[in-house]
Amino acid sequence: MKGLIIKDIMCLKKQLTTFAYIIAGVVVISILYVLSSRFGNLAKAGVALLDENNNMSQVDVKNLGSMVLVMFMLIPIVSVGDMLNVFIADGKAGFFKVSASLPVSMKKRMLSRFLTIYALCGIGAVVDIILALVLSSITDIMSFGSFLGIIISCASVLSIYSALVILYCVILGYGKEQYAQVFSLLTIILSFVIIKFSAFKSVFIQIFIKEQGFDSGTFWKPLDYFRDKGYVFLIVALLVSVFSYSLSLYIAERKRGVI
Amino acid sequence: MEEVKNVIELKNVTKDYGDFKLDNVSFAVPEGTVCGFIGQNGAGKTTTINLILDVIRRDSGDITLFGEPVNKDTSYLREDIGVVFDEMGFHEFMTGRDINIMMKNIYKNWDEEVFFDNLKKFSLPAKKKCGAFSRGMRMKLQIAVALSHHARLLIMDEPTSGLDPIVRNEMINIFREFVVEVDHTILLSSHITSDLEKIADEVVFIDGGKIVLSGNKDEILEKHAVVKCKKDELSKVSESLIVNSEVSDYGAEILVNDRHAAENLYPGMVIERAELEQIMIGYVNGKR
Repeated sequence: MKGLIIKDIMCLKKQLTTFAYIIAGVVVISILYVLSSRFGNLAKAGVALLDENNNMSQVDVKNLGSMVLVMFMLIPIVSVGDMLNVFIADGKAGFFKVSASLPVSMKKRMLSRFLTIYALCGIGAVVDIILALVLSSITDIMSFGSFLGIIISCASVLSIYSALVILYCVILGYGKEQYAQVFSLLTIILSFVIIKFSAFKSVFIQIFIKEQGFDSGTFWKPLDYFRDKGYVFLIVALLVSVFSYSLSLYIAERKRGVI
Repeated sequence: MEEVKNVIELKNVTKDYGDFKLDNVSFAVPEGTVCGFIGQNGAGKTTTINLILDVIRRDSGDITLFGEPVNKDTSYLREDIGVVFDEMGFHEFMTGRDINIMMKNIYKNWDEEVFFDNLKKFSLPAKKKCGAFSRGMRMKLQIAVALSHHARLLIMDEPTSGLDPIVRNEMINIFREFVVEVDHTILLSSHITSDLEKIADEVVFIDGGKIVLSGNKDEILEKHAVVKCKKDELSKVSESLIVNSEVSDYGAEILVNDRHAAENLYPGMVIERAELEQIMIGYVNGKR
């Protein structure tokens, strides 16, 4: 099984090289961003934003700053953890035949793929945690705890996405990986919208229907949830992984030739 | 007398794809033999091999490997099997070194030294990406992998197809070396009958998803013959002996399934030894 995880990581080797450049870029840009928002033009822009927009408070400006920073933070995790490339590479090479001829049971073959997800999410999360430590020590935009909450949520969402990609790839078979990607994204977005329907609805009505513009109370609620409820995302990620693993295994054992 | 052990055994194995059906396939491969699995393209060779390896699910029937029934819990049996597919299956970015790292973490008996020796023996660069390999090199790489975990059984699907005669001959020599050990067995699927004629002890012939002929190669060759006669003499040959007949302006060529009977019954006709290819073509055309 270990050999298959190694092979999966080899498939992502090119992606990991890109990942190294992305990390370097993100570290530099994040530090520049933090310094600028404290001492440079971004700090001045924040003051100007407060003067021009009566609806905005100091907290909103700080939250906006945090949001941009969070976007940077998400890049390493998102860039490292896309399982789709493994399926595309396996399909292209016809590796499923080789893997089926190896002394590794279907259970272990499937498990290895899921373990690859966690390994990748883990790599992304570790990089982000180090970055969070650095950033939280040089800025008061966000505390290390808040950074950590966001990293956990983000890594969890990514592992949910990857677990769904595996499930859809197993259902659809090789050659249809792009559909698996679209279906996985749709499933996540729809689930978010359905579960947090009222929150999304109020933001939408406020901004687009009533045209009331920006209201910090409503607007930051979903983002606060993402920051503060990392453990919820983590539990959901574990449940989705177990469900996806079980169903993928069930299908793969009947269908064969899909992993 | 010592009982013959069958390394592979298929009993009434069926797989229905709708447009193609592997129908009640039964045959056995005895230990220590080279079994040639012949048939034209699309006859069901790859499907049968995939069923043996449990790559695809059979609809019915029983398959045993080393005397144990093949099912989802017997993946450990594959520790003793080396497999060579018609296409390489390894990712093009992988080098021999990468494959070694992967395989040593998969096979309990993986022998790194043997693997690199094999690469050297087959003139395969260990640091070169296998995507840059020629078809012959790709096949040799698969064979190097198959021979590096002390397998007792080699299952090969068209390993010599598309290769030039020199590389094919090299491969056949490699297979010969493998079966020097008494407990080493090969199931070798091919539509190139000349290769099998050189190396096979047993022959299983499949056509249209059904086993047409199976048994000892020499016995099959001994049993069949090509009877050459004039066109008007064709009607004299007993229908029960004829597998297939071909008539041309110069006369008739008849593949018969009992050489001795033909020799006794038709002493005036020319009776020649049939080659595996002629037997294969004869059975396929005879069915049509």
